[in-house]
Amino acid sequence: MPGRMLIAMLVIVFLKSASCQNTSYQQDPGWRAPAAAAARPNPLASRPEAAAGGEKLFRRNCVECHGENGAGIAKKNSADLRLSIVQQQSDGTLFWKITNGNADRGMPSFSRLPELQRWQLVLYLRKLKAVPDARP
Amino acid sequence: MNYVKKCSVLLLMVCASFTLSHAQESPYFVTYDHHLEEPGNLEIETYTTSGIARAGQNNYVAPYMELEYGVTGRWTSELYLEGQGTVGDSAVFTGWRLENRFRLLKREHPINPVLYLEYESTSEATRIQKEIVGGGADVTSLNSELQPRKNHELEGKLILSSTVHDWNVAGNFIAEKNLSRGEGFEFGYSFGVARPLATLVSGVHCRLCRENFLAGIEFYGGLGSTQDGFSVHNTPHYVAPVISWQVSENGSLRFSPGVALTHDGSPVLLRFGYSYEIRGFRSAVAQWLGGKH
Repeated sequence: MPGRMLIAMLVIVFLKSASCQNTSYQQDPGWRAPAAAAARPNPLASRPEAAAGGEKLFRRNCVECHGENGAGIAKKNSADLRLSIVQQQSDGTLFWKITNGNADRGMPSFSRLPELQRWQLVLYLRKLKAVPDARP
Repeated sequence: MNYVKKCSVLLLMVCASFTLSHAQESPYFVTYDHHLEEPGNLEIETYTTSGIARAGQNNYVAPYMELEYGVTGRWTSELYLEGQGTVGDSAVFTGWRLENRFRLLKREHPINPVLYLEYESTSEATRIQKEIVGGGADVTSLNSELQPRKNHELEGKLILSSTVHDWNVAGNFIAEKNLSRGEGFEFGYSFGVARPLATLVSGVHCRLCRENFLAGIEFYGGLGSTQDGFSVHNTPHYVAPVISWQVSENGSLRFSPGVALTHDGSPVLLRFGYSYEIRGFRSAVAQWLGGKH
């Protein structure tokens, strides 16, 4: 009996980790960065080594909803961060979205992180392997 | 398999499907900022407030536990259970509190207002001093006198919080009404500033590095009551450095030595805390109960 239980738990953990990515993610049209915020450049753009810290921050703060590889989780309606509709957004836009969140859609604000750490996250998001958008 | 075993297995499986988190917690003990619990997460926190006595008083320790749950992105609910033990006296369970915090604005603003509403069912022996209102807690009377005096209280706070560069600046204005006695409204305040010790995160795993620490300072105290007058006199006021350390992927320790600025209340309040956050609590429970998640 304990062996069966262990197998059942392993299967559940596997299914949970393999829960479907969200390639059909559609953006909230009301969640737009102001022009001035969207135009802000990443102050760490010349320090690509800072992306390693961004990956650590991503694993701490983002994986729960966006998945290990940033593919999003369909049942949480979280963005597949590899899609071009995300990757085409400016650094400033991504920074603004991380800072403000979209509370009504389940995306928390990460303004509690220091500003440079949020830029580190943006730096790391650029390293996620891009996938084509799924269009209806 | 009997019922107890089934329940144990269910609990084990729910726990197995939790994700542990590393959200950097505010270091404050008394002051609230505008950051709420993430929706669906549960944070279990244990704290103690230890009061160092003046002459003629006894030292005491007031432990309390908080269960903090993110109901939505803009609503956090908390349940408190609290007690108190006084040297040379007794140890008593002093009651419970249920609080709710509502974030009023959706986005980040220069000043972010949060509304706080709390119901308390506590005895007069409460000494956790999660907030100080009116003339503060009674730290001189015996538990045998205080414990039978039960209070039902409503408390409201206006939380104003701001992020200025990497600093958090937060101020709370507190109003409390005892529904059990005609004490009028009692008032209090708290104010805090804090920041992380490092603004960049390294790519390597570390525990004692600066990126895992936040430090700051709090000021808190009473502001009198409608019955005794709105005043900063005859009520305790404290200044308290605060520090928090992310000790593991899901746990953080906090410490704050508070020093009284007046001759009311305890001269020193030592506060310790440990919090442990469980992400995905709601979806895991819903999944195992077979409901919507």
